[in-house]
Amino acid sequence: MPNDDIRNLWQAQGSADAPLTLEELRKKGAKFRTTIARRNLREYAAVALMVPYFSYFAWTARLPLMRVGNGLLAAALLYMAYQLHRRASASPAHGELAWQSCLAFHRAQLERQRDALSGIWSWYLGPLIPGFATITIAIAIPLFHRSIAAGLSSFLWIVLPAIVLWQVARINKGAAAKIQRQIDELEAAESNANSGARE
Amino acid sequence: MEGKPQDERYLEAAAAYGAALHRLAGAYEADPDRRRDLLQDVHLALWRSLASFDGRCSLRTWVYRVAHNAATSYVISQRRSRASAWIGLEEVAALADPAEGEQAAGRRHSVDRLLKLIQQLKPLDRQVILSYLEGLDAAATAEITGISPGNVATKIHRIKNLLTQRFHEGVRDAE
Repeated sequence: MPNDDIRNLWQAQGSADAPLTLEELRKKGAKFRTTIARRNLREYAAVALMVPYFSYFAWTARLPLMRVGNGLLAAALLYMAYQLHRRASASPAHGELAWQSCLAFHRAQLERQRDALSGIWSWYLGPLIPGFATITIAIAIPLFHRSIAAGLSSFLWIVLPAIVLWQVARINKGAAAKIQRQIDELEAAESNANSGARE
Repeated sequence: MEGKPQDERYLEAAAAYGAALHRLAGAYEADPDRRRDLLQDVHLALWRSLASFDGRCSLRTWVYRVAHNAATSYVISQRRSRASAWIGLEEVAALADPAEGEQAAGRRHSVDRLLKLIQQLKPLDRQVILSYLEGLDAAATAEITGISPGNVATKIHRIKNLLTQRFHEGVRDAE
């Protein structure tokens, strides 16, 4: 039978030797855990440094709007840290790769990527915007009192980053839509599978 | 298997399925250096996962699920692997065989062509064709992939036609 031939040919290749010893596996496993822990630590350290910095200005700034803006930024960073912690805690368990079928796992991976892209506004960049906007207004008001041109120029500090962020949002939205199409394809394959099973 | 230490379970799994994992890595990654890294990642994922092996499925199903899921995770995280470039079994059957008209150049050539064909497939079709080539039946393939045995049977029918059409001559000439 021809297909048995090609199966035999297929199965004749490949080495049964394990590419890593148990000792190497343990070392790689420990390195993996350390890498994740270091990444989380870096993000928490950035928050731990920046929150006191903005809190200090929220307490001591002369202008009330400046105090509000710095307070908003400190609160936004605390919220981001909470979201990072929540998401890091929800990372896949060791056995997850085996508990889910390939179809379910693939869909879950794509959903995770899609949510990461669309969630960047709700918990990563978005919360910083009110604080930055308030600080920019606080800077602009005294400049407007001096001259309109000087006041308007201060808004460049918010317009230029806003354009960049808008572009990032557009790219993310496009990427999330592409991933959603892949999820839809997988769901169609799943529903075809179920209808096929009933026939 | 339940109650065995993680290392012992891993050694048992690696001895039984090591060669299959080697072939699987080749089906997901063409570049030899990256393939070696992928194979190491698959073994690491398997070793880590076996710490929580609870006998809810057979060791074989466990090993193949971990390996396919780790490899799928790898290919979708690779920016150079564009999902839009993957094709399904239906489309690949309609494409011209790149080796058509060539003299079949032996067993190695047939395996290389087969690998190139598999590397173009969407992950689900890739999982089904690999399960077929590894000699798993429709029920085992369904348990690993999550699609129904009926759908697996349909896909296997397509795979058999495709293999007959593309490789029968090459294999026969090589013998």
